[in-house]
Amino acid sequence: MPLLSVRNLSHTYPNGHHALKNVSFDVEAGEFLVIIGLSGSGKSTLLRCVNRLIEPTSGTIILNGKDVTRIDGESLRKHRASIGMIFQHFNLIARHSVVQNVLYGALGDTPTWKSIGGAFSAQQRERALKNLSITGIPEKANNRADSLSGGQQQRVAIARALMQEPQLLLADEPVASLDPATSHSVMRYLDRINKEMHTTVICNLHFLSLVREYATRVLALRGGELVFDGMPDAITEDWFKAIYGDDAVQVEIR
Amino acid sequence: MRPMQRLAAFILDLCFTAYIAAILLRIVIPEMIFGEPPPPMIGAEYFTVIFASLTNAIIGQAVNASLGISFITGRLPEGKLRSAQATQGLIALVLTIWAGWIVTEISPIELFSGEGVKGAGRIFGALFTPEFDIVGEALSAMMETVFTAFMATIISVPIAFVVSFAAARNVMAISPVGKAIYVVLRGLLNIMRSMEPIIWAIIFSVWVGIGPFAGMLALVVHTIASLSKQYSEQIEDVNNGPIEAISATGANRLQVLWFAIVPQCLIPFLSFTIYRWDINVRMATIIGIVGGGGIGYLLTQYQGLSRYHEVGTLIIIITLVVWILDVISARVRAALR
Repeated sequence: MPLLSVRNLSHTYPNGHHALKNVSFDVEAGEFLVIIGLSGSGKSTLLRCVNRLIEPTSGTIILNGKDVTRIDGESLRKHRASIGMIFQHFNLIARHSVVQNVLYGALGDTPTWKSIGGAFSAQQRERALKNLSITGIPEKANNRADSLSGGQQQRVAIARALMQEPQLLLADEPVASLDPATSHSVMRYLDRINKEMHTTVICNLHFLSLVREYATRVLALRGGELVFDGMPDAITEDWFKAIYGDDAVQVEIR
Repeated sequence: MRPMQRLAAFILDLCFTAYIAAILLRIVIPEMIFGEPPPPMIGAEYFTVIFASLTNAIIGQAVNASLGISFITGRLPEGKLRSAQATQGLIALVLTIWAGWIVTEISPIELFSGEGVKGAGRIFGALFTPEFDIVGEALSAMMETVFTAFMATIISVPIAFVVSFAAARNVMAISPVGKAIYVVLRGLLNIMRSMEPIIWAIIFSVWVGIGPFAGMLALVVHTIASLSKQYSEQIEDVNNGPIEAISATGANRLQVLWFAIVPQCLIPFLSFTIYRWDINVRMATIIGIVGGGGIGYLLTQYQGLSRYHEVGTLIIIITLVVWILDVISARVRAALR
């Protein structure tokens, strides 16, 4: 049984824009799946449908054999808590400390009043520090989140996602606002989490060189439709033009 | 254009033309001819106003271009119709200024006549030779005013804080019930805000008696409305990224509110609050005049006794304190940015 199964997924925005058209694919546990495509091809919408930050217009999403397309309330929150997510702009709480930001990854299984009172358990705090060590910035725990560099902020965001002990990690263009050197460092942390902690990763990327280095499998979207599903090596020049358009030129990132 | 929009445009055109006809007939022409206010309106005048309004509104609908239609659709017509419309607007503006001049009885002669200037000299002379015997009394009244403003702000903040979330579109748009609450609340706040604190002060000075408590209550009503609006606009303006991120951890609505929205708002909220206190000190002075206690009340008392030397002292103290608070509040707000 695949970990995630997406069937005939479509999403239409209120303004009538068809962001996703009838997309179907499976993800096996342990994969490092990369989704490529132009900006506006539906990559971000697809990721957000998986953890239901965006409501699918039609189609089904099955995680661990359970249909999660229409769940709500407590079961939706449990579903979200089981999936970590990181973002292009990190989305940390700027004025709060790094360790607080990491602790917010545990909000899903902390009672509301306890969390609002800031009463995270000693065990949660310990795990937060451990996750900061995993992403290599334990010494920044008490700094304000917005005092960190972009790469460091993304590592805080990864640590926050790890607090959820996710079976699946969604990464929405995690390196798109980082410089090339930092990009590789962040990608390597994702790679380690995938290999060592056996967390399945679905990651939106722009740079094919990163795709070839980290992906175990690639999906490509064009205009909301799935146009490619295969190995990174199989993206030939012809496929590249089919995905990105005839005028596109490959850019390397090293 | 939908029928309802067409109707609205028609009514707007009626009102617009009726307004022009009325100020022409009732203010501008009588002043030109008689040089005095006209006798009560007669049947022929009513008829003229109604006839002119209907004619203009019907023509507007017929050629599908009028100020009312432009106002509703937000689009201007092309070519000749456009300049016709501009002319109508210009005529309305010129007539309004003309009528305004007549109604406000603007009279440069009185401003600069010998008699007038002598009166001004008398009062300025008194104001600039203040009577310092009442400084103690004045300062304690000023303190009452500043505290009135301060307490009104402090009491309003927690209420406005809670209300503002229910008056923020992005927080409430999640369900039809929420949307309804949002619409009702926004309307209510707008009404509360458009009633001047001075009117609330009159109401409360009857309710709880003349004094600083009445003034404070009046300011509380106005401050809750103003702060709620400013706070809720700030909430509507927050960055969506942290909201997504906190939602993705499986947090519930209250947690998203507290961890993703509130941290983005606190500093702007603080800045609005300090500015509001600053405004409230000024308002509390005015409110004192109608029974809200403090230095405003003292001012009316001395003014009523025509003791302008004492009034001069009060004005100096008010100006100084307001100016100092203004500087402090501007400094603090700049530091928060």
